[in-house]
Amino acid sequence: MAAKAVLIDLHDNVATLISDAERGDTVSVTYQGKTKMRLKANRKIPFGHKIAIAPIKKGEQVLKYGTSIGVATKAIKPGDHVHIHNIESQRGRGDLIAAKK
Amino acid sequence: MKLKKDTFLGYIRPDGQVGVRNYLLMLSGTLYANSLCERVADALDNTIAIVHPLGRCQVWPDIRLTFKTLVGHGKNPNAGGVIVVDHFKEAGCTADEIAHEIAKTGKPVEVVNIRRAGGAINATRDAMKAGLSILRKITNMKREEVHVSKLIFGVNCGTSDTTSGLSSNLVVGECVDMIVSKGGRAIQAETTEMMGGEDFMVKKCVNKRVAEKLLKAIKRMEERALEAGCDIRGTQPTGDNIEGGLSTIEEKSLGAIKKGGKSKIVDVVGYADPIGKKPGLYIMDTPGHGGESITGIAAAGAQILAFSTGGCHTINHPLMITIRLSGNKQSIQQMIDTTEVDVSDVLLKGTPIKVAAQRLYREILETASGKMTKAEILKEYNAFAIHRIGVSI
Repeated sequence: MAAKAVLIDLHDNVATLISDAERGDTVSVTYQGKTKMRLKANRKIPFGHKIAIAPIKKGEQVLKYGTSIGVATKAIKPGDHVHIHNIESQRGRGDLIAAKK
Repeated sequence: MKLKKDTFLGYIRPDGQVGVRNYLLMLSGTLYANSLCERVADALDNTIAIVHPLGRCQVWPDIRLTFKTLVGHGKNPNAGGVIVVDHFKEAGCTADEIAHEIAKTGKPVEVVNIRRAGGAINATRDAMKAGLSILRKITNMKREEVHVSKLIFGVNCGTSDTTSGLSSNLVVGECVDMIVSKGGRAIQAETTEMMGGEDFMVKKCVNKRVAEKLLKAIKRMEERALEAGCDIRGTQPTGDNIEGGLSTIEEKSLGAIKKGGKSKIVDVVGYADPIGKKPGLYIMDTPGHGGESITGIAAAGAQILAFSTGGCHTINHPLMITIRLSGNKQSIQQMIDTTEVDVSDVLLKGTPIKVAAQRLYREILETASGKMTKAEILKEYNAFAIHRIGVSI
């Protein structure tokens, strides 16, 4: 099966699925209507969720809209599902301040 | 009746504002008047109630925020007339003071105090008699053709998912640009959902003073989250946001801020504060809580609001007419009764944003002219929520 994803900015390292992807599905990633690349989904990724299109090291910024949406908490491979299990926010983190006290 | 381009049929109020509805508003000054307001609204045609749990035992800045929000709703041009009800006396938020401010618009306003009236039954009778007389007057008003520049267009999003930032928010933003370019005003809120999107927002500010005001508001909101000493994940983004694929507040923000389109931000105003007369996009400093943020927007006089919602929210403000749109086909199929505009073809078929925006723009003008939203027909009034900045004491 083929699944589809959209890339919002050329600097991004994640794309957004606009159909469900099963594990092993080929995902075609489009940028402004044109196919940019194809890659395999490493696991099931639901509609609307993100797929990594480049390797992201632990601690590196995850980029969407050409801007950081958080930091990788573990190494992410192309084709991986990118969500709360492997990235975290850098904003409004009162928990980090509370832990320091 | 065929309307001229960029016009709608509205009710011109004595102060020049234009209503898109012509309700008698039963406005509760305190929670202990809620039942009476609801009873009278049930009994009379063309009447809606605004009720809430506040108006008493709040610290001073907080009670004044409640006061300002209630006054703003009374002044909103969608109310043709207003009856304000309280039960005894609330320092800083009496029905008399609220009505005094609303009366400055020139619309008919009456006060019913339950104690002065001699209890619940007499007060109900007084409110129904006053309502009967106001409704005879205001229902004699006719809709007139007015230009779209008379609109104050509110924009908001909620139960967002990744389709919101890729489709429905862009559609809303395009409509903001259309309305502003024709001389109208728009209000975007939800300061929490600007965290992470500062660079984009600052570039849109008309000058440095406005940019500084905006950055200060965003910083203050983040400090509130930090002071709470907890991780805001799970709250922002919410559980339904995460289900929809949004991983962090930054990601949510970068999608949410697209609702303001490309229009310049002409000013930043406080919660429930009136906006300026100049056409353009205004930012209101509100939390991301949907009910609280749209209530702030309604208090500033917005007649109509576009609510972008990938997950198809049930939200509807009782007085400011709420048009809900979604870019997620699956959500729309599940929640067809709560969604007015479907823009799922943007992602599924590649429909250009400008084309989908024409669909929303038409819906805005038709709804402004009297077409009922699904929520109005179903009487789903769920989104009047006054923001709080203090504790109950």
